[in-house]
Amino acid sequence: MIQYTLRRLLVALPSLLGVLIIVFLMVRLAPGDPAQLLAGEFADAATVERIRERFGLNDSMPVQFQRFITGVAQGDLGRSTRTSRPVTVELREFFPNTVELALASILFALVVGVALGIISALKSNTWVDALAMILALIGVSMPTFWFGLLAIRFFAVETPIFPVAGRGTFAHLVLPAITLGLSSTGIIARMTRSALLEVLGQDYVRTARAKGGTPRMIVLKHALRNALVPVLTVGGLEFGSLLAGAVITETVFTWPGVGRMLVTSVLSRDYPVVQGTVLLIAVSFIVVNLLVDLIYGLIDPRIRYD
Amino acid sequence: MTDQTDRKNPAKRQRRKAPRWRRRLARNPLAIIGISIIALFLMVVLFAPFIAPYSPQTQDLRTTYLPPGTGVSLRGPEGQAGIWVSPAQRSPTRGVEVNDSVAYPVKLFQRGPSYSWLFGLIKSDLHLFGVDGPVKYYLLGTDEQGRDIFSRLVHGAWISLFIGLISVGIGLGIGAPVGAISAFMGGWVDMTVQRVVDTLLAFPGILLAIVLVATFGTGLTNLMIAVGIAAIPIYARIIRGSVLSIRNREFVEAAGALGRRRMGTLFKHVIPNALAPLIVQSSLQMAIAILFAAGLGFLGLGAKPPQPEWGLMLARGREYLAVAPHVATFPGVAIILVVLGFNLLGDALRDALDPRK
Repeated sequence: MIQYTLRRLLVALPSLLGVLIIVFLMVRLAPGDPAQLLAGEFADAATVERIRERFGLNDSMPVQFQRFITGVAQGDLGRSTRTSRPVTVELREFFPNTVELALASILFALVVGVALGIISALKSNTWVDALAMILALIGVSMPTFWFGLLAIRFFAVETPIFPVAGRGTFAHLVLPAITLGLSSTGIIARMTRSALLEVLGQDYVRTARAKGGTPRMIVLKHALRNALVPVLTVGGLEFGSLLAGAVITETVFTWPGVGRMLVTSVLSRDYPVVQGTVLLIAVSFIVVNLLVDLIYGLIDPRIRYD
Repeated sequence: MTDQTDRKNPAKRQRRKAPRWRRRLARNPLAIIGISIIALFLMVVLFAPFIAPYSPQTQDLRTTYLPPGTGVSLRGPEGQAGIWVSPAQRSPTRGVEVNDSVAYPVKLFQRGPSYSWLFGLIKSDLHLFGVDGPVKYYLLGTDEQGRDIFSRLVHGAWISLFIGLISVGIGLGIGAPVGAISAFMGGWVDMTVQRVVDTLLAFPGILLAIVLVATFGTGLTNLMIAVGIAAIPIYARIIRGSVLSIRNREFVEAAGALGRRRMGTLFKHVIPNALAPLIVQSSLQMAIAILFAAGLGFLGLGAKPPQPEWGLMLARGREYLAVAPHVATFPGVAIILVVLGFNLLGDALRDALDPRK
């Protein structure tokens, strides 16, 4: 297990480095003077010069990159050109909100998706199955922003059950979490169905059936446990994607998270914040995937010996 | 003997059964639905100026936010059947006012605003439908500038199609060969390419497209390229899997033994046998690309007004959700239909091409 963990960690390192390179290059490849981009559109010449000096933008690329890495390692991502606050402070303030939303979404997606998948597998090749799978496919095909707007229209404007926007109480969380989790729900439902159907054809399920187990008991006690292994993996990967998917949902519901922060900073060309947010989301995604891999190895020992 | 007669008699040869995957596809009702939606979508793109009754840009500030069906009745002034339209306009103080005293019939193949089509090759003023009279028939209502939403949707369809095609094109044209060569060569080439792919895959979903748009600027062209580049790692990863499983098969060895060069073997023997998952992915990628592009348009990072891009139209409609919900509703319906079509086809193709079944 230790060897497996180390190997997975080693594979993640190049991706991490790659992400850093891409984020570093973003400002350098963008049209215009990088110092001006980092200082902001309306900065005066002295500020631009100070930024150029501070980030050493006249140095060679490798030297600049080294300085960039050192800065990241020390938690220095520069200052927002809009609010003049350090980027790390902004991220620390908004990132927990995004995690909260993503957690609520994945919870919704797992509960509803697995339930839909089980129903579908139990009634496979009936109209119930067809209906559940079409619903799942619609969930995958639905533009999140559109569903969010419809949800606001019906459940916040016309029948005001939930608040239109913002964060605070549990009621604030419901519509954004469902909106964000919809596509994952579809993916998880489809995954649960196919995993369960595969497991239900196995010998040990036949044994359980021969011993006189009721269909319900067989599914819940024997089949589901094994079918859930791939489902949990997909759930983990989906959680990572939700962090990025939050970009749209947060904008629709004006949820104060890093996704919305990313959009506003791209639109206002606030490059230090763009860099910081992209870095944070990509690194979180790598870390989540790594954890999913490790947990996978833990619950399914076959994986480790490949 | 039968072979020979077959070769001599082309009619008989054609009657041979279609390949198994095609028969499977034809038997799958979901595949038929998907293909029908896509066919309809392609027709709309191809015949947009003919299908849309008006230009996507024509504004009329007297007819803003008219909901669908405003001034429309199914009986004419003398009780005739058909669709009849009465003039309607929005008054600043009294809301929508309909002048019931006159009504004009909606007719098929009606002359209307002139347009040039197929890059100016054809000039015409014939439309699929239109009103025989001095009023306009807004099938899906109007937006905040009094533009016909139906005409805008129809004229904007090509943007979605193009984004999808460019994304698939970049994925197939760059991602697939790179992934195939990487897997076929193995060693340090594979190692390096896969680390690059890993890095690109570390940007989940829409994030890579946002990074590219943030770097190179917003706008439709950059958006198309961004969504395309986001497809590269997915294609590279998929074909790598199939090439790895095919690389050591006997027919590949045979090609090598017969003196074919390695790259020749790859492109002539290995890649054609690894295409099935790419075909499936291409259909799904169309769906993903259209969703991404609409999402970026919605965020204001893609197409710019007044382009009739569906995501952008939806974003504009968002501001008037309380007063005119139809403005945001119909672009969403269009997006979900097209995305669903490509997802259905992709699913059906996956089932049909699956050799295990």
